[in-house]
Amino acid sequence: MNFSLIKNNFSLLSFLLIPLLSLWNPIWFSVMGVQPYWPIFWLLPWSNLNGPINGLIIGFIIGIILDSINNDIYTQVPGLLICGFWFGKLGTLKYRYQYGLLASFGSLICGLIYFLQLILNNYQKNPDWLFSFGLKNIFGQILLTGLFAPVLSISLYKFFSSNLKKNRF
Amino acid sequence: MNKTRRITTSRWWNNKNLWFLLIFLFLIVFVRFSKSLIYRDIYYFFSKPFWPGQFQKELLLDSYDKELNVKLKQLEKDNLRLRSLLNLKKTRDDLIIDSSVISRNTGSWWRKIILNKGSRNGVTIGDAVVGPGGLIGLIDDISIFTSSVKLLTSSESQVGAWVQRVNIHGLIVGVGNDSPKMIFYSKDIDIKVGDLIFSSPASTLLPPNIPIGIIESIDQDSRPTTTVNIQLLANPQAIDWVQILKSKI
Repeated sequence: MNFSLIKNNFSLLSFLLIPLLSLWNPIWFSVMGVQPYWPIFWLLPWSNLNGPINGLIIGFIIGIILDSINNDIYTQVPGLLICGFWFGKLGTLKYRYQYGLLASFGSLICGLIYFLQLILNNYQKNPDWLFSFGLKNIFGQILLTGLFAPVLSISLYKFFSSNLKKNRF
Repeated sequence: MNKTRRITTSRWWNNKNLWFLLIFLFLIVFVRFSKSLIYRDIYYFFSKPFWPGQFQKELLLDSYDKELNVKLKQLEKDNLRLRSLLNLKKTRDDLIIDSSVISRNTGSWWRKIILNKGSRNGVTIGDAVVGPGGLIGLIDDISIFTSSVKLLTSSESQVGAWVQRVNIHGLIVGVGNDSPKMIFYSKDIDIKVGDLIFSSPASTLLPPNIPIGIIESIDQDSRPTTTVNIQLLANPQAIDWVQILKSKI
C-alpha cells in the first residue's frame, strides 16, 4: 500500500483533524468537562517551522473554521492570530518542556480573549456568575494543553520537518 | 345465744332475671349510642367473601379512565383553541423526531450538542429538544443532516419558565455551569427549594409545561430580583437519545 500521498500531505491532513477533534471532544481527554485547546497542538509546531507571517495566516484560517463550527457571537480568531505570529517568531525550540509552556501560554491567551468577549457581552446580565465558569475553563485548558503538548506537538513537529525536507528536495 | 343469719331471696340483687334485664338494657343503650359500630365491623368480616370482585373493580377503573380521557381531550381542545387565539406555541404530536447525539460539548466554553437529524428530516431552528427528564435546549443551527442544540446551561441561553405551584413566571438564564439560574422579577414570592419548574405557557419560544428542573437553592442576597439556582432534570452529559419537538405558531 502506498502511503506517500499521506506522508507528503501530512500537514494538510492533520490540519483537517483540528475541526474534527473540536467536534468529537473525546471525553477521556477532559478534566471537569474541559478539553485541551486542540488547535494549539497543531499551530505551535507548524508556525515554528513556517515563520510568523505563515503562522498569522494559518491562525486566522483555523479561527475562522472553529468560529463556523461553534457558531456563536464570540470569535477565536484574535487569540489564534497572536499565537500563530508569536510561535512563528520563536522559531525552533530546543527543549521538550518549552512546548508545554508555550502551549499553556497560547491557551491562556486564547482563553482570556474569549472570556473577555463573554464578559463584555454579558456585563449587563450579571458577569459575576460567569467568573467561576470562565476561570475553570481557562485553567482547565491551560493544564491539559500544557500536559499533552510535549507529546503531541513534538510528534507533529517531527512529521512536519521531515515533510518539509522531502518537499524541498 | 347464737343468732343465725337470715338467708332470704327477697333482695332485688339476688334476682337473676333482673340482672339479665339490666344487662340487656345496657346492651341496647350501648348499641344505640355506639351507632352500631360493632354490627358494622362484624358485617365487614362476614361480607368480605361476597364483595365485588377484581373484574368489577377493573370495569369501574376502565370506565373511570375513559371518563378522564374524554375530559382530557376536551381540555386539550380548549387549550389549543385558546392558545391559537393568543398566538402561542403548541406542539404537534405527529411531529416528534427521535434523534441521537453525535457530538457533545457540555463542559467547555461552548455548551452544545449535535444531533443526527437536520433540515431534510424537518428540523427547524427554534424547535425544543427534550431528553429523559425534560427540556435540554433549543435548536440553534441546522445543516442538511445535523442540527445543533444550544443547551440551557449555555451562557447564551435564555428561556421563559414558571413555577407551577405558585403560578409565577421567570427567566432561566444559562451561566456556563451545570446549574442555570432563574430570575423572578419580584422580591416577595412564595417559592421553596424543591419546587418544580416547567416551560412557561406564555412563552413564544417553547411548547408549554415541559418539565425543566427543580429549585436547588435560593439566593437571598439578590436584589431587586429573586434569583434561584436550578438543578436540571435532564442531564445532557449522559443523554444519547433525544426528542425534537416540532412546534408551530
